[in-house]
Amino acid sequence: MSRQPDFSTAPRPGGLPAWEGLALAAGLVALALAGGGAWRARQEARQARARLADVRREVEAASARLRALDARARGTPRALSAAEAPPSRILADVAAVLPGDARLERLTIDYARGGAFEMQVVARDAASWDRLLDGLARAPWVRDLEPGPETREAEVRSVIRWTWAGGGP
Amino acid sequence: MALLGTRLYLGLDASAVTAAALGEGLGGRRVRAFARVPLDQGALAPSPSGPNLPRGDETRAAVRRAVGDLGGGRVTLVLPDGIARVALVELPQGADPRDYVLFRLAASLPFPATEAIVDVLPAGGRLVVGAAVRRATVAEYEQSASGAGLEVDRVHLAPLVALAGLMRAGARDAVHVVLGDVALCLASFRGGGPAALRNRRRDRSAGEASRLLEEASRAAAAAGDGVGPVRLVLSGAGAAGLRRELGVEEVGRGLEAPGDWPEAAETAWLGGLVS
Repeated sequence: MSRQPDFSTAPRPGGLPAWEGLALAAGLVALALAGGGAWRARQEARQARARLADVRREVEAASARLRALDARARGTPRALSAAEAPPSRILADVAAVLPGDARLERLTIDYARGGAFEMQVVARDAASWDRLLDGLARAPWVRDLEPGPETREAEVRSVIRWTWAGGGP
Repeated sequence: MALLGTRLYLGLDASAVTAAALGEGLGGRRVRAFARVPLDQGALAPSPSGPNLPRGDETRAAVRRAVGDLGGGRVTLVLPDGIARVALVELPQGADPRDYVLFRLAASLPFPATEAIVDVLPAGGRLVVGAAVRRATVAEYEQSASGAGLEVDRVHLAPLVALAGLMRAGARDAVHVVLGDVALCLASFRGGGPAALRNRRRDRSAGEASRLLEEASRAAAAAGDGVGPVRLVLSGAGAAGLRRELGVEEVGRGLEAPGDWPEAAETAWLGGLVS
């Protein structure tokens, strides 16, 4: 609604009728509220953006860890430690490399030292002893193999020490 | 529903004092009450320079009667056509509208320019309808209203109120004649706004209708529309009689008055307020 020209001899300052003044005041209040709302929304948006960036960083770090673990899991099957491997499993592995003409008389496992083994073995002859050592040397779950003193003239009776290198799951 | 309040308008012209209470709502204005009190001839004589209310007591009494049932209090005065110089003016870039209109009208004023009250009605682009009225003339009407116990809020000019209504309503391309009791405005509308404007005193002697039609044809040509029969639209005092005289085919109905009060058709400014 356009302003109608006023020819009063003493125009009222402002000249706004009551309802127009009321509407103007209401408009100003609405403007202030809208401005406040916009400012709050802007603040909340800023905080939300900061939270989002934090979450993204955490997600990226977790993803990187996940990728690394995944690659490790794919590249090398995880080996069981001596503490995780049951004695029956260890005995089965040892029995697999024990030649038929060799006999395991005693097996000591020291879990406190990360799986240190000591085997009292009796082999029928030197060749049988050699096959036993060769089998142990090739076994992936054996490291730090230390054959004990031997006499190769007849039956070989000795001690073999080694450390558990971990078996497959 | 008058959501935004009710305003009382008081119009004075040679033939009558008119009061209307208009409710202001979100959908526009609506006439809530209307009163028209005739004046004896010569009680009010609209003039740009001389006394307008030679029989002030009669006018004040008519004002009291008109507003009596409508509440009184603060009113917006609507002064009659015939007391001001009115012109359609194109403002130069950067010009102060009131100063420039006074500059343009000063030479034609029948009173010193220093005594003029000037205001303008925007008419699209740099066009304005400017008007200048003598301060003493306005004061005469204000004192009449004050003498009747009213407080004058604003003062409008009837032809400008009617023209504002035509512009607000998007009046069709035609020559619109806004009739007051003693003067008229003849406005050629093009594209919803006035392209030419003439304001003069009326000659209500016999043959006024045909003279108006001829003048409208000249005005239409001056406004750049010389093709086809002129479309003449009449509003205000005596418009119904002139329409009958010219024939309804040739003459359109102008600003519509509220249907509840047939007498309101005589006051074009009221149609302008509610359009």
